[in-house]
Amino acid sequence: MAHVKADPGRGRGALVALLDRWLKRRTRLDLPITLGYRQIFILPTRFGWMLGLLMGAMLVGSLNFNNNLGLLTTFIVAAVAVNSMLLAYRNLHGLSIRRGNAAPVHAGRPLCYRLSLTQKDNRPRPDLVVRAGPRLARLDLPAASAGEARLNLPTHHRGWQAVGRLRVETTHPLGLFRAWSWIEPSAPCLVWPQPAEQVPPLPEHGTPRQGSQARQRDEGEEFHSLRQWREGDPLHRIAWKATQRHQTLLSREFREERSREIFLDLQRTPGRDLEERIRIVTAWILRAHAEGRSWSLKLGTKTLGPAGDPPHLRECLRALAEW
Amino acid sequence: MGDRLPLTAVAWTLGAFLVAAIPHLLAMPQVLAGVVVAACIWRLLASRYDWRAPPGWLRVTLTLVVIALLLVSYGGEWGRRSATGLLCLMLAAKMMELWRIRDLRLVASVSFFLVATQFLFNERLVYLGYLLAGALVAICALYSIQAVESGHRRAPGGSRSILRNGAVMLLAAVPVALVLFVTFPRLAQPLWGLPDEVMDGRTGLSDSMSPGAIANLFADDSPAFRAEFGDRPPPREQLYWRGPVLWRFDGDTWEQAFLPTRVPARPVPPSRDDYRYSVQLEPHERHWLFALDYPVSAPENARISLDFQITSRHPVTTLKRYEVRSNPEFTDMPELSDPLRRLALDLPGDRNPRTRAMARELRARFDDDRELVAYVLRWLSEEPFFYSLETSPLARHGADEFLFDLRTGYCEYYASAFAVMMRFADIPARIVTGYLGGYWQENGGYMLVRNSDAHAWVEVWLDGSGWTRVDPTAAVSPERVESGSQSVSGARDGLFESEWLRDLRNRYDRLQYLWNNWVLGFDSDRQRRLMQWFGLPEVSRTGMALIMIAALALVVSALAWAWLGYRPRAADPVQRAWQRLLVRMARRGLGKRAQESPRDWVERLAPRIDHAGELQALVDDYCRIHYGPGTNRSQQQQFIERSRRFRPRRTEPRGATVV
Repeated sequence: MAHVKADPGRGRGALVALLDRWLKRRTRLDLPITLGYRQIFILPTRFGWMLGLLMGAMLVGSLNFNNNLGLLTTFIVAAVAVNSMLLAYRNLHGLSIRRGNAAPVHAGRPLCYRLSLTQKDNRPRPDLVVRAGPRLARLDLPAASAGEARLNLPTHHRGWQAVGRLRVETTHPLGLFRAWSWIEPSAPCLVWPQPAEQVPPLPEHGTPRQGSQARQRDEGEEFHSLRQWREGDPLHRIAWKATQRHQTLLSREFREERSREIFLDLQRTPGRDLEERIRIVTAWILRAHAEGRSWSLKLGTKTLGPAGDPPHLRECLRALAEW
Repeated sequence: MGDRLPLTAVAWTLGAFLVAAIPHLLAMPQVLAGVVVAACIWRLLASRYDWRAPPGWLRVTLTLVVIALLLVSYGGEWGRRSATGLLCLMLAAKMMELWRIRDLRLVASVSFFLVATQFLFNERLVYLGYLLAGALVAICALYSIQAVESGHRRAPGGSRSILRNGAVMLLAAVPVALVLFVTFPRLAQPLWGLPDEVMDGRTGLSDSMSPGAIANLFADDSPAFRAEFGDRPPPREQLYWRGPVLWRFDGDTWEQAFLPTRVPARPVPPSRDDYRYSVQLEPHERHWLFALDYPVSAPENARISLDFQITSRHPVTTLKRYEVRSNPEFTDMPELSDPLRRLALDLPGDRNPRTRAMARELRARFDDDRELVAYVLRWLSEEPFFYSLETSPLARHGADEFLFDLRTGYCEYYASAFAVMMRFADIPARIVTGYLGGYWQENGGYMLVRNSDAHAWVEVWLDGSGWTRVDPTAAVSPERVESGSQSVSGARDGLFESEWLRDLRNRYDRLQYLWNNWVLGFDSDRQRRLMQWFGLPEVSRTGMALIMIAALALVVSALAWAWLGYRPRAADPVQRAWQRLLVRMARRGLGKRAQESPRDWVERLAPRIDHAGELQALVDDYCRIHYGPGTNRSQQQQFIERSRRFRPRRTEPRGATVV
């Protein structure tokens, strides 16, 4: 299980690595976590720096002209900034992040990571942002309640994917300061293999016992479809009503209900390499499940199934993901 | 943010800009103010009807046109007014590209700056309201912008909630702002030059006088300065506040002479009967300071010239406070040097023949200068001369017209004509402008001198007593001298002269005076005195900074404590009772852990306390009331009662607790 670190959005250098180590030493990042003094960092935003610059200009000008009301204005702005810093801090302080989880998805599809946030405090916490690199989820937490941040993370490879370091941040109330906390959930998320697009037909009779393809019977109890009448079709099969409608002879085709199991073997699956074979098998499994058939999957020495229910599907996909 | 900005955020931001710009707009040429307002209205409509931003070339063109308009209307002069005008116009131009969050934020925060620049022009008490309103709207704008950034189309709770949040923010800013204001180290000297440019035509005395030109000053009730006397002011007839002294007369206009303003005055010896007072001078953008005759020593950064004008090194652009000491028993210039005598007798020869004729005749009649002066004064009071502010401008032979035809005017006419006659009679004369009298604020212990108290009088040089003050206006209208300009300018407007309104104005001025004293006049000197009052006699600049940091840390931690510890009371009484129960239990070391559900908690505590069953019942009730379907009031009341009485005891010693 490779530990894929989410890029916190900045270039990585020796300094960042150093900061990383310091961060790890300083604070616990794993869930569940209640954000407190040690976890919360705070710095001005770009707009905050800009206002600081403006305040500097106001300060120097007012001091120079000994203009007391100008100074008072400057100080009020400064005090508002100080308050804004405290409020940004307060917006995170005492916030609990219980756990995060995500339903498994196929590689290439976005992983919807759900982070559950709770708080006991009797005040709302607006403008919370959970950020993983450039992706972010916004959330307003009402007073004394829980909420869920849904973050769409990109997936590239099958297997267990670490969520990486997430940033819970807020610029509440005026956008002057950004308070943030790092969290790094240790529980990874499962990413199923991506199903192949060009898939050979299901190996219908590929049971290892027979070794050869059994002839498929056309006949069955179950109505399957209508098709053009062919020489030799019995008369009672002709669908008269439909024939009248379409002005051509149509006959009913019946098929036996497909209840026979499919046997899938990763080893015997066509494909250039392991990844492609896994993708093909994935696609087969999905199709088999969609068609409501049961299948068994052989992976190396281990065989899963036969079964066709959703738990079996998930088991197979997970086994393929981990393979 | 690809989509358009919501109307509320735009409206708040425009509001912040407009509130901050109001005084600037009023001072600006109307065309420019119109441009600014039009830009704001356009932007608001653009937001309402979803118009798109104008193309770049149009924006640049319009901006250049507007700047050209500014240059034309200010005549290319660069001063504070044109600078703030430019700032307003640039912000108005910004309206054309106000399509992103950062643009909104820029405009909202520059509004703070705009508010601060207004105080370069005026720092009166009423502007405190302007400051607070401007800051409040700008904070609200930042609030609504933040709501947009966090993905809301409109702020939760709407504009009322924004306003409330903004007000709380501003209120909470006051303590920190005050601490900074009091403790921030002030500059004793400006870092760079103060503006010399006088762009803002504030009324006040000018350095020249041509009769009939400045009658509007008498309608200006704004304070010129306030003088604090210990307990009682000097007698009325001493209250001639000396300003610019005018020596040169070209027939129309009296002007200062270069020479006397350069030469330092003869030192005035202090005496026991001196008046000691301090003056709180409103900014008038000129160099002169006012004092009674004769100032003993000049305040800091000022000097006293030969004719006892006090001139400050820098123009008075902010409220200025200075201490003065005046010795009324002083003979100014017992000997008059020849150049000065020539200067004080100089007249254009081709003017005022009738006055010259009368002066010649008087000169022949009286040998003694004093008698001549007394005669002219008597003549003025006996002949039908009138005091009036309604006059017509004088033509070429001003003194003649006034003395023999018009005979109606105010101090400037009398002073000018009198001085001309004195000079024709070979008596050196000069004109002194300044203020006369003032309103004694009984409760405040200060004298309020308004611009409407402006006055002009004459000084003649008499052998033996030097320059002697002669007020020809007093000869005509003694009440002008006794009770101030109000008495003669009375019946101007019924409403404005009503008794209670004047009383209200005086009360307001006392507030203004306190404001000036404690807020505007707060400088490094006052700061030092305040520190002395706190028992810190010698505080260096560094020490002041340290005090500031300490005080700031104190206030900010108090604020932090208040913000963080603040828990709004649970609206629900059941919830409140429950929280009190939890707090009480926590105090005994039996608190519920954050991750525990109430039932887990009971389970954990049960073996460790007596009356565990009681707690179990309480928790069950709480869960039923809080999480379950609707319960009636009596059940709730019962829960509250029982939880209040619940006082369990530990059954195991504290040390044995294994958690």
